[in-house]
Amino acid sequence: MAVLSTPRSAVQLASKGQPLREHLFRIALIASLAIAFVFLLALLSYVLIEGWPRLDSRLWENMPSVRNPDIAGAQSAITGTLWVISITALLTLPTGIAAAIYLEEYADRDRWWNRVIELNIQNLAAIPSIVYGILGLGIIARTFGLGFSVITASITLGLLVLPIVIIASREAIRAVPPSIREGSLALGATQWQTISRQVLPASIPGIATGSILALSRAIGEAAPLLMLGAVSFIRFNPDGVFASYTVLPIQIFNWISQSREGFHILASAAIVILLVILLLMNSAAIWLRNRYQKRW
Amino acid sequence: MPNVTVRGPVAPHTAEALDPVFTVAGLSVFYGEYEAVREVDLTIGNREITAMIGPSGCGKSTVLRCFNRMNDLIPGARAAGKIMYHGEDLYGAHVDPIEVRRRIGMVFQKPNPFPKSIYDNIAYGPRVNGMKGKMDDLVEEALTQAALWDEVKDKLKQNALSLSGGQQQRLCIARAIAVKPEVILMDEPCSALDPIATTKIEDLMQELSRDYTIVIVTHNMQQAARVSNRTAFFTADVDERGERHGRLVEFDETSRIFTNPTDKRTEDYITGRFG
Repeated sequence: MAVLSTPRSAVQLASKGQPLREHLFRIALIASLAIAFVFLLALLSYVLIEGWPRLDSRLWENMPSVRNPDIAGAQSAITGTLWVISITALLTLPTGIAAAIYLEEYADRDRWWNRVIELNIQNLAAIPSIVYGILGLGIIARTFGLGFSVITASITLGLLVLPIVIIASREAIRAVPPSIREGSLALGATQWQTISRQVLPASIPGIATGSILALSRAIGEAAPLLMLGAVSFIRFNPDGVFASYTVLPIQIFNWISQSREGFHILASAAIVILLVILLLMNSAAIWLRNRYQKRW
Repeated sequence: MPNVTVRGPVAPHTAEALDPVFTVAGLSVFYGEYEAVREVDLTIGNREITAMIGPSGCGKSTVLRCFNRMNDLIPGARAAGKIMYHGEDLYGAHVDPIEVRRRIGMVFQKPNPFPKSIYDNIAYGPRVNGMKGKMDDLVEEALTQAALWDEVKDKLKQNALSLSGGQQQRLCIARAIAVKPEVILMDEPCSALDPIATTKIEDLMQELSRDYTIVIVTHNMQQAARVSNRTAFFTADVDERGERHGRLVEFDETSRIFTNPTDKRTEDYITGRFG
């Protein structure tokens, strides 16, 4: 009876006090997050404040100028970026998705060549972008004779992000449960019908998300394009895939290298434009992911 | 020794009553080097419900998946022996597995509706098979036959994943019916369902057996006893290397299997002494 009369729940469930370790661990996690966040915020506010005086219509209405930072703009770089990235998307997405379909749905993993391909796609994704620049210069610009043009830049950037597109698409395709494929095949559908009517539609959101993120990376690339003749004083918009071109990262790089203060402000303003394009693309990726998220 | 029990009791009281759809003779199924099922002889009767029962790993699902060549999809899987479908060798060189699966439908253990509307789930099979006729009528007919029409007729455009588990499974049955198969294979169709949904599916099976030949794999002996005309009891033999090989022990009318089994192992299993 004595046992029963003690307030048992109070005795057994009372908090022992969270150990110090728990607190420290949590603080470390928050601190890590804070470091990333604070630096991003500092960067954003810096370019915004610095570039604010020139963040107006002159930036996208005027062409670059070497003489006068007040009338210089980045129109040719903005259109150049849009040209290059659109052609990159047109070239990379079908190829990347097709490669992913092959690897996920058709490739027999017992064959050594399929394993070699798989391994090398992972490796390709890790190759520095400047190496792709050298490849583009040597093979696409010179051997294929495509010169310093939009198409050379697009093919090179396309090769650069292709492994990322393939890897992202494979993950999206693999996320479609095997039971969906079985259900389709059991109804007398062919393998291609099953892929095109069930697997692909179900994995499109994941593929789109991964592809947009891959293209965002391509937009920000300057290094390979430095080797591919993205000259920064192009005073006209590209009029086709064989035209000369420049892109925003190159234009920014060039302005920052100038000695006059006015060009530095211009560079910050152009960075804001580039960041806005990137943020829009990433938001589209997040929106797509949430909109079409599947719960099986 | 077991071969005697496999072949012995099958013939006598089934030969005259059976109008065979499938005749299985000496069927062994391999996954690579491993022989998962050994020497099965079985006959599936037209417009009957045949149940395949037995403990886990006895090869009953493996055998079921041979009937529509779904085992072809597993790398390294191979079937030896013969499965005759209306006298034609299902594994013959000229046989197209796509065509086999169109005629022999399948319902899986876990309901697997496509992430599409209810309507598109049903219409998918007829579409990929290029079937003619008014799609709306086909969909209504299939859903009616699967006893689901009244529950879903006002929400055909809704995503099929919004249905309950039992409704999803009936949708999968409707989806299989929509391509007008002759046979429906069911691989533990109720194992993911609650008792009420299970009862509905069992009633549906009885209903469907008037038009279709049904083969069902089940873990649930009461279910086999309730719904089937004939029952095949499988078990697994363990060989000297410790590998399990599924084999058919006894195949007979369900009433006889459950009241007067010939083989001791069948009796032990149905009386709950093992498995």
